[in-house]
Amino acid sequence: MPEPAPFAYEGLDRVFHERARLGVLTSLAANPKGLAFSDLRRLCGLTDGNLARHLQTLQDAGLVEVTKNFERNRPLTLCRITPEGRARFLEYLDVLDRVVREAAAAAKSETTEGPLSGLAPA
Amino acid sequence: MQDLDKALAEIGAIRTQLARSETFHGLGPTAFAATGVLALLVAIGEARWMPDPGPHAAAFLTVWIAVAAISATVIGVEMVGRSRRLHSPLADEMIVAAVQQFLPAGAAGVLITAVLYGFAPQALWAAPALWQICFSLGIFASCRFLPRGMLLVGAWYLATGVGCLALAQGAHAFAPSAMGLPFGAGQLLVAAVLRFSSPRDA
Repeated sequence: MPEPAPFAYEGLDRVFHERARLGVLTSLAANPKGLAFSDLRRLCGLTDGNLARHLQTLQDAGLVEVTKNFERNRPLTLCRITPEGRARFLEYLDVLDRVVREAAAAAKSETTEGPLSGLAPA
Repeated sequence: MQDLDKALAEIGAIRTQLARSETFHGLGPTAFAATGVLALLVAIGEARWMPDPGPHAAAFLTVWIAVAAISATVIGVEMVGRSRRLHSPLADEMIVAAVQQFLPAGAAGVLITAVLYGFAPQALWAAPALWQICFSLGIFASCRFLPRGMLLVGAWYLATGVGCLALAQGAHAFAPSAMGLPFGAGQLLVAAVLRFSSPRDA
């Protein structure tokens, strides 16, 4: 049986753990009905190529879906987070929150009690 | 430490943003039905033991403030339990958002009552109507992330509040029809709306 690894943080999925993708998922999760590609690009401050590449990665992981339609005779690319993507993103945020809290607690106890004394998982 | 605090604040901001984009299912039909029944029982008791409530404004206010406090407690307890169950990763953020949306209207109702009682007791007859109007404004403010049927409840309380303001004065001041009936029926309406819009696992 493998030894428990309290600092392994299995929930920190590599797919989310990139600043641009974090921004894309936050924008999409806050807009469950979806966002147009151009709006998402503006919200995240990305170029067309960059956003397309990140969306492809997220799509491959089943976290977002991209649909192409026409609105008033103009092409509209709509990006939407999937239910699985939303659930996994919330789990990711929980783990990230825990990591940062534990790091903050360790840093605090280090400044009050000396180096390494507070380095224990909560 | 500052970087870690900033990171925590940013995570909190993302969670708050997500919480505000979800429909809130923390309000439960059972608690609202119970408060509706309580209001109707108090209205029946008032009709039975206080046939002429006009001169007893203080007793009327005391009884209804107690009913409001009990109702808020019952709804609050059920809201926390349901939110933890149905919105587990975002429960706290959603409860805070729900309370924040309703709080200004609730606070306005409390302040209006205090001001009328302290400085304009001759206008106290309007308190039940103003409570209902404040309640409706609180519901309208929260509607964005409540089930859509709650718009109907907001409209109900606005209509009963305005109706009471027009009709429940003089001999009709503090009558059960000015407070107990609209509040009881309104809470039962909330319960029905929530019952039919609840997720299946609620």
